[in-house]
Order: sequence, then structure tokens, then C-alpha cells
Amino acid sequence: MTKLLPRNIFRFFVLVLIQVLIFNNIQLSGYINPYIYILFILLLPFETPGWLLLLLGFLLGLSIDIFSDTLGMHTIASTLTAFLRPFVLDIIAPHDGYEMGTKPRVLYFGLAWFFKYAAILTIIHHIVLFYIEIFHFGGFFSTLLRVFLSSAVTLSIIVLSQFIVYRQ
Amino acid sequence: MKELLRFLIKYYYALLFILLESIGIVILVRNNTYQRTRFVNLAHTISGNFSKKIAVIKDYLTLHEENRQLIEENNRLYNLVKSSVSISYTDLQSEKESFQRLEYIYIPARVINNSTNKQFNYIILDKGREDGIEQDMAVVCSDGIVGVIKEVSEHFSSAISFLNRNLQISAKIKKSGHFGPLQWTGTGHQKARLKDIPHNISIELEDSIVTSGYSAIFPENYMIGRISDFSLKGGNYYEITVHLSTDFKNLRNVQVIKNLYREEQMDLEERTRND
Repeated sequence: MTKLLPRNIFRFFVLVLIQVLIFNNIQLSGYINPYIYILFILLLPFETPGWLLLLLGFLLGLSIDIFSDTLGMHTIASTLTAFLRPFVLDIIAPHDGYEMGTKPRVLYFGLAWFFKYAAILTIIHHIVLFYIEIFHFGGFFSTLLRVFLSSAVTLSIIVLSQFIVYRQ
Repeated sequence: MKELLRFLIKYYYALLFILLESIGIVILVRNNTYQRTRFVNLAHTISGNFSKKIAVIKDYLTLHEENRQLIEENNRLYNLVKSSVSISYTDLQSEKESFQRLEYIYIPARVINNSTNKQFNYIILDKGREDGIEQDMAVVCSDGIVGVIKEVSEHFSSAISFLNRNLQISAKIKKSGHFGPLQWTGTGHQKARLKDIPHNISIELEDSIVTSGYSAIFPENYMIGRISDFSLKGGNYYEITVHLSTDFKNLRNVQVIKNLYREEQMDLEERTRND
């Protein structure tokens, strides 16, 4: 447990920096804006207490908001993603549940499980985010297209990162 | 009391979620109804220095491109000087008069934060009230228009980027002089739409679109872009797609324009309207 803390803090800063410095500057054909920072919420240990999970989700969103001038948007989407994580974990739990000492990684539960886990939370996050942004005007379907294209790119990056960072 | 405590403990997860989410919504809503840039400014006292450091690195990496732009700008100015020498005497006379009445002051500034991938984009500049920046001044770069100053703090200012659905400026077709409102289309970073141009005038692809100067923010005849597509809408008006000449993805050096006669002009317009 003592080892987990600095590692997660480090991951928090690295992901915020990558998001702000690299991915916020990427805009493919006006539709695709990947938001990979939610990987931080996905990778938190199973034992993370509820209050900490919510607070971290909130702080993560707020940090992104401050650096990309979108006060509120990412905070709302990110807090919601953190809130829903335990429920999603419940729904897709393997038959014998989550064993002690395991972490939500491809390594422990396989690619299919991780993909399902990441996909549900990423799509929820992107739907909330893009519809808050578009709040004032119509364009329901073009926003939906943006949600799904961006989700696809975010997911690909998240899943790929698992293979790059956690090589055996 | 005991009941309340038990309730709080039992549902603390949902309650905390609602609390945090409400904070998020309050931040969002306040930003949308009031000037959201006000909060952004506040946030920039935190992230301003951070952004400035990144801007320094970015500056260094784009030196080559900047050199090219400066050379182009230089050439353009050279051409202006040459042509003003060779024109006839009467032209020279009128040119002189226009020089005597200095209308606009240009204040150079640097972009330290910029976004192009949202529906409401803002640009943060490293000059503020201390450098003479005020609300509603125009922001341009050597390629074309950039935006309008919205909020000013002591050392920084924020501008509504032209890539913002809230900004609409008055533009005209250079050749014929017909004008209409120009607004960003909301997708891509180089497309805008010009409306209210009557169908009976002739326009062509690649015609220049320039500022009309009616708003007293932008000087007249400042380059905006070229026509990339047009169609007749409802038979009476053209709907013209304009390719913007400013590369919003690569903004470094900009100029803030102060119109010395803006207040006078606005005052007169106001009085005329009241009569």
C-alpha cells in the first residue's frame, strides 16, 4: 500500500501533463479530441476508498479544466466517471470476484475484460463531456459522431498504453 | 441526530458525489452566464507562468516559421513604401492627410495560450492593462484577423478567438464592397461563413474577404480570407464559405489594435439611434 501512493501521484501528474501538452493540441478533422487522462481513474487500485476515488476524480477534472480554459466541463465528466467506476466494476466482475492483490490491468484479467471496462467508462465520460460543451445549440448527431470517434481514439491509446507500460 | 449520522454514513458515497458534482456545475454555470473569461483569468494567475514557460519553448521551436513570416511582412511593407512614392501627386496629397490623422495604434503581443478544438475558443495574451490593452480592441496577426479582447488583467488579457461561436464580425467582399456578418462555422480551424450578400452581384472563388470597418473595432480592409465555396440560399442571398488566411494553430506574434476614434464613433452612433 505504501508503494502505491507515490506511483499513483506520479501517474496523476504525468497524465495531466500529457493531456494538456499533447492531446489538447490534437484535433483531427474537427471531430476527434482524445481525452486520455481518465486512464488515471481506470488504473486506481481496487481498494481505493470511495471518498478518495471521488475526490481524485474531481481534482483530476479540475486540473485539466484549469489548464485548458474549460472551467467545470472536465470536472463534471471526470467526477461522474469516478462515481460510476465501482458500479461498472461490479457489473463486469469475473465469476470469482476480484482477488486480493490484483489490480485493474490487462495483466490480471485479460484484454477482453480491460477493454470492456475502459470502453464503458470512456464512452460515458465522452458523452457527458461533449454534450456539456455543446449545451447551447443543436447538432445532436454531429456531437454523437464526435463522441464515438473520440472515444475510439481514446480507447485505442489507453489499451495500447497498457501494452507499452506493463510489458512482461 | 443519530438517525442523521447513520444516514450520512450509509449514503456518504452518493452524497459526496452530489456535492462535488454541484461544485462542478456551479463553476460551469457561473462561467457561462457571467463572463467566463473572468474565471479563466483567475486561473491564469496560477497557470500563467506555467504557460509562459511552455510558450518560450514553443517560440524556440518555431523560429524558422517566424523568420519566414517576418520576411514576408517586411516585403509587404517595402512594397507599400515603393508604391506610395510612385503614385500621382493628388494621391500623395490624400495619403498625406490620412497619415496626419493617426487612427489606429498597434500594440505587439505574444500568444501564451490558445485553443482551437472547442466550440468557444479563447486566446490568452501576455500584455495587459499596464501595456494599454482595453476591452473590445481588435487582435490581428500578419496573416489576418485573430479576435477581440474580452477581459483584461494587470499583465495578461484574454481575447475571444474568431474560432468562437459567440463572435460575429462585419466583413465585406473587397471587389464589390458588399458587406455582411461573418462567423466561424464551428468545425475545422479555417472555415467561416459570410451571409446576407445579395444574389445579384457577381462573386468568384478566391475573391478576397476583408473587414468592413463598420464595427469600429477592426480597421477597414484588413485581410480575413478568400472565398472557397458559395451557393444561393433561398434564392435571394448567397451563403459564402470563407477560407481564413490566419493559421489559428500557429499563432505566436499578434498585434492588438487600438482605435483612437472608437469612443467618438460609438457616441455618435448612440446619439443617432436615440433620436
